[in-house]
Amino acid sequence: MRSTRESLLAVAIVAIATIASVLFRDSLAPTNLAMLYLVGVVVVAMRCSRWISVTASFLSVAAFDFFCVPPYLTFAVSDYQYVFTFVGMLVVALVISTQTARLKDHAAQAAVREARTEALYRLSSKLAGETRVFEAARAAAALAEEVFGARVVMFLPEDGKLSFRRRTSDVLPVPPSEESIAQWVFDHGHKAGLRTDAHAEATALYLPLRGARETFGVLAVLPEIGSNMENRIFLPEQQQLLEVFASQTALAIERTLSQRSAEETRVHMQTEQMRSSLLSAMSHDLRTPLASITGAASTLRSQNDRLPLETKQELLESISDEAERLSRLVGNLLDMTRFESGGVELRRDFYPLEEIVGTVLQRMEPQLQGRTVTTDLAENLPMVFVDDVLIGQVLWNLLENAAKYTPPGSPLELAAFDEQEAAIIEVRDRGPGIPPGEEERIFEKFYRGKSVNIRGAGLGLPICRAIVQAHKGTIQALARAGGGTTFRISLPIQSA
Amino acid sequence: MKPLILIIEDDAQIRRFLRAALDAEGYRLQETVTAEEGLAQAAARQPDLILLDLGLPDRDGLEVIQKVREWGKIPILVLSARGQEKDKIAALDLGADDYVAKPFAVGELLARIRAALRRSIVRGDGAGSIVHFGPVEVDLEKRIVRVDGEDVHLTPNEYKLLQVLIQHAGKVLTQRQLLNEVWGPQHTEQAQYLRVYIAQLRRKLERNPARPKYLQTEPGVGYRLVSEE
Repeated sequence: MRSTRESLLAVAIVAIATIASVLFRDSLAPTNLAMLYLVGVVVVAMRCSRWISVTASFLSVAAFDFFCVPPYLTFAVSDYQYVFTFVGMLVVALVISTQTARLKDHAAQAAVREARTEALYRLSSKLAGETRVFEAARAAAALAEEVFGARVVMFLPEDGKLSFRRRTSDVLPVPPSEESIAQWVFDHGHKAGLRTDAHAEATALYLPLRGARETFGVLAVLPEIGSNMENRIFLPEQQQLLEVFASQTALAIERTLSQRSAEETRVHMQTEQMRSSLLSAMSHDLRTPLASITGAASTLRSQNDRLPLETKQELLESISDEAERLSRLVGNLLDMTRFESGGVELRRDFYPLEEIVGTVLQRMEPQLQGRTVTTDLAENLPMVFVDDVLIGQVLWNLLENAAKYTPPGSPLELAAFDEQEAAIIEVRDRGPGIPPGEEERIFEKFYRGKSVNIRGAGLGLPICRAIVQAHKGTIQALARAGGGTTFRISLPIQSA
Repeated sequence: MKPLILIIEDDAQIRRFLRAALDAEGYRLQETVTAEEGLAQAAARQPDLILLDLGLPDRDGLEVIQKVREWGKIPILVLSARGQEKDKIAALDLGADDYVAKPFAVGELLARIRAALRRSIVRGDGAGSIVHFGPVEVDLEKRIVRVDGEDVHLTPNEYKLLQVLIQHAGKVLTQRQLLNEVWGPQHTEQAQYLRVYIAQLRRKLERNPARPKYLQTEPGVGYRLVSEE
């Protein structure tokens, strides 16, 4: 089609040159008329393909001989010097034809290269930030439709087998029966389907999305039947681009997957690390009281008659104390586990702070024996919207720590006041204080202050923080002027 | 004759130490392992108190409370796991008298048993009596409240709340139960009222309202009036 149009154009241009030459035949020397034909050849070479312009060159020489060189209307030549003119004219015309055609080819190739570079650049920038495999495939398919002017769908595997269900388009544009072709492409990593050696009768061309190590899916291309783009997709340079496109998409998917697996490995390692530190803390902290209990109980059982009454009493007390410690530990571990698995549901309501504080102090009387605990509750404290059991537990843990880590008999203070839309509760002690730099770390799980030599699973404070954070509040440890530590809880006051 | 206590508990070790402790106090005991057996024994022997574990193998302990309450007022003391406030409230609302959270010390259990038995003996709301706890003296007939011998004015709702607590002295009352008895069944969700009134009562009756000795909060469950020492 295109070539017919070009041939007609070439003939027309040679005809125009001939008509012009015949008109000027009497006033111009024939060698100058040859120039008119050369202009025609230049025009043809610029517009048409190489072979047409070469043909136009020969045609021009023939027409020149026939119409412009005497005797007219015959190919015979009276003066043999014109043979030089013919040869010169032909050589010039042919050189013009080939050179122009070559220039055009270069330009066309440059354009293709540019389009291709641009398409691949857009592909890589679209896929660069994508961390989800399916989204990457969807973006690549959309871009491919634009670049190739054809319908493009990508299919991804499901449980190791390619599936038409996992596809990037809403509707399935190919017959379901072609799933087996896609599967073959997926398995073998070779293209198949429309206009290929295998299954040329298919509605689509299937290409594998082949990465460096494996095939991630299949790309299906459906040219729009009857459009002028129908054949374009099958041009060698487009086919090549399509293949590069598919492999770039596969590489992007591969990168996404490897990033994800790296992240998973990291999380897994962290979990493992936590688990092992949990295990070591557990084995130590659970075994120690168990050992005391077992030891004391077995002593009582096997040596009962030989033990003085006083010793028996001591052993019994140690059993009871250690059991209590074990119970607290198990309780803390369970609480932490519940918090971490998201199994804690806040049962919030409006409570007067003094009620929560009062209840804790009253229940902790045995633990706080021998301590002066000064309470300083501001008048007219607003009600706080909290889970009273959990906030009570925070105060319990803080007071228990204070009792454990500060010298016996040193005073404790519990204060509550409101400050800028927040209810503040402070537990203050006059103990050794927290070494600078550890104020944050003491809230980490299984962290134990280096300088302290008291046993505990290192879970009390992390639980406090988890509870306070669940209430959208904050908890901090602050160094106290004059020595000691202030644990400061800030809870947002919510208007009813 | 010493009171008879029915134990419904599936764990052998726990039964063992309960037996030792209760035996030493001179109580008579009947031990059962399942809910079915427990219910049968409760009906047959009419114990003075039931010690009930909520986690039984055959049926939910809550069902046992329900069944027993269908025919009788035998005090029920629940042994519950720690941190299961929902279960405690459910048990109390169904009519259990009190609970002890596992693990517990025997001293605490014995105190609860004594309180429950005492309540069941003096049931019949003790009208005409004068009640003492700490510095507080309440004349239930004349509706007069004194602290350290001085009259204290209570609003009608405050007095009613105190009266309900006194009637059930020693027993935990859930928020729902208190709201129902003082304000009526349509107000059982308005726990905030209750807290405000409790705080006011504490201010009027307790020596140190910030560390209440008598009007105690059971976190997440309700309130209890502690009248002995």
